[in-house]
Amino acid sequence: MNAQTPITVLIVEDETLVRMHGVDILEEAGFQVIEAASADDALVLLRSHNEIGLLFSDIDMPGSMNGLELARVVHAQWPRMRLLLTSGHHNLTESSIPDDGEFVGKPWTEGKLIAMVQAVMAA
Amino acid sequence: MSDASDLVPPGAAAPAQSGLIDDLEDLFENAPCGYLATDKDGRIVRANQTFARWTGYEAAALTGRRFSDLLSIGGKLFYETHFAPMLHIQGSFNEVALELLTEDGRKLPFLVNAIERRDARGHPSFIRFTLFMAVERRSYERELVVERDEAKAAVKAEQAESELREQFIAVLGHDLRNPLASIASGVRILQKENLGDRARKVLSLMDGSVVRASGLIDNVLDFARGRLGGGINLTRNTREPLVPVLEQVVSELRSIAPERLVECNFAISGPVDCDPARIGQLLSNLLGNALTHGAKDVPVRIEAWADESRFLLSVANGGAPISEAARGRLFEPFYRGDGPSDTPGLGLGLHIAAEIARAHGGALEARSDANETCFTFTMPLGSSDV
Repeated sequence: MNAQTPITVLIVEDETLVRMHGVDILEEAGFQVIEAASADDALVLLRSHNEIGLLFSDIDMPGSMNGLELARVVHAQWPRMRLLLTSGHHNLTESSIPDDGEFVGKPWTEGKLIAMVQAVMAA
Repeated sequence: MSDASDLVPPGAAAPAQSGLIDDLEDLFENAPCGYLATDKDGRIVRANQTFARWTGYEAAALTGRRFSDLLSIGGKLFYETHFAPMLHIQGSFNEVALELLTEDGRKLPFLVNAIERRDARGHPSFIRFTLFMAVERRSYERELVVERDEAKAAVKAEQAESELREQFIAVLGHDLRNPLASIASGVRILQKENLGDRARKVLSLMDGSVVRASGLIDNVLDFARGRLGGGINLTRNTREPLVPVLEQVVSELRSIAPERLVECNFAISGPVDCDPARIGQLLSNLLGNALTHGAKDVPVRIEAWADESRFLLSVANGGAPISEAARGRLFEPFYRGDGPSDTPGLGLGLHIAAEIARAHGGALEARSDANETCFTFTMPLGSSDV
């Protein structure tokens, strides 16, 4: 991780206000943030933005796949991508997330979310 | 069928009635039941008048016929395969329901008793049958069966409906979380803006409302899940320190009731083997209860400590004690106290708190006197079976 090039996070969240809040927290902490409202949008963005280093995705989303499935697809296609999943309903253990992925529960608090992002990036 | 005149043959009544009392011939012929005597093979030797009248035959015409020929097809089958063999083995066979065919082809239900008489060498010599008409009994039985089936169907329908209702609650609760999360995020975003005092106050009140609503949703979801057979599932986590979780809950509820004093005394150093989010929910429910029901001018005291063997969390408030009667029902779902009926809430908070305690292998207890009301959660720690 070079201090000069900030890490780019792709946030995938279907609830607009929740996504805006996540973007606020991450940008304030110095990350570059790209937004997607669905798994399908996320895959399109991932193909065109190879600077993305972390997929931060909600699990419960409408559309062709949920966050967990998205994480599996992304892990298969971009094995070096770091993964952080989030949900207000599920309480996942890391074992169900591919590779070294982590889980953070909703609602996010700034401190905890940033700590989790940093932990995943340092892993 | 039970008409008494059925039993009295016409013309047998009027003259010298008293003379009939001990007349055994009359007792045989006009008894309130049918009598049949057959040879050892079931061929009728004699039938009484009552039987002849019930079945519509001439008594004399019955002589020489086989008893089994008077039975319906089902009755005949049962007679040949069960009745006759059992009678032969046991010497008697009682209270058997059989259908007989009347002279004009109607089926008539009977209860039949039979004995087989044997000669000195033990060979069967003849059979005696007693037959009781059982039309009403059969219709009672049928009614009972119908009613039982109806009751079963009603119970089943009720179960299906209540399951549907609980599924509905579960889905509703689940779906309400999304818009609520949006409102919560909106509040957080706005709180970072440069706002006036009034706007800040509105946002902090909105924040409190979100906390209250999500607490209600959590409890309703847990309740519905419990009813649907899921129960409270725990994600135990010793890595996550418990105190910040408890502090977060307290600060959230303080935002709902900023005028109230809440004193905390946390003495937890090591890890606690529990589901921190669930313990947070338990505290949230107990503290919510204390803020709602406790005296407004007495601080609510929260204590939490853990040693190697035990974790304890208690919430105490002042105010009127809980009555003896109410204390027994505190942890029942939808119980909202014996006070005025305008008590807010669903009455699920304490119930869910007790369920969370149970899921942790611990217990939630209530103590209440004139000084204070105190709910205490204790759970064992460190034992190998946890």
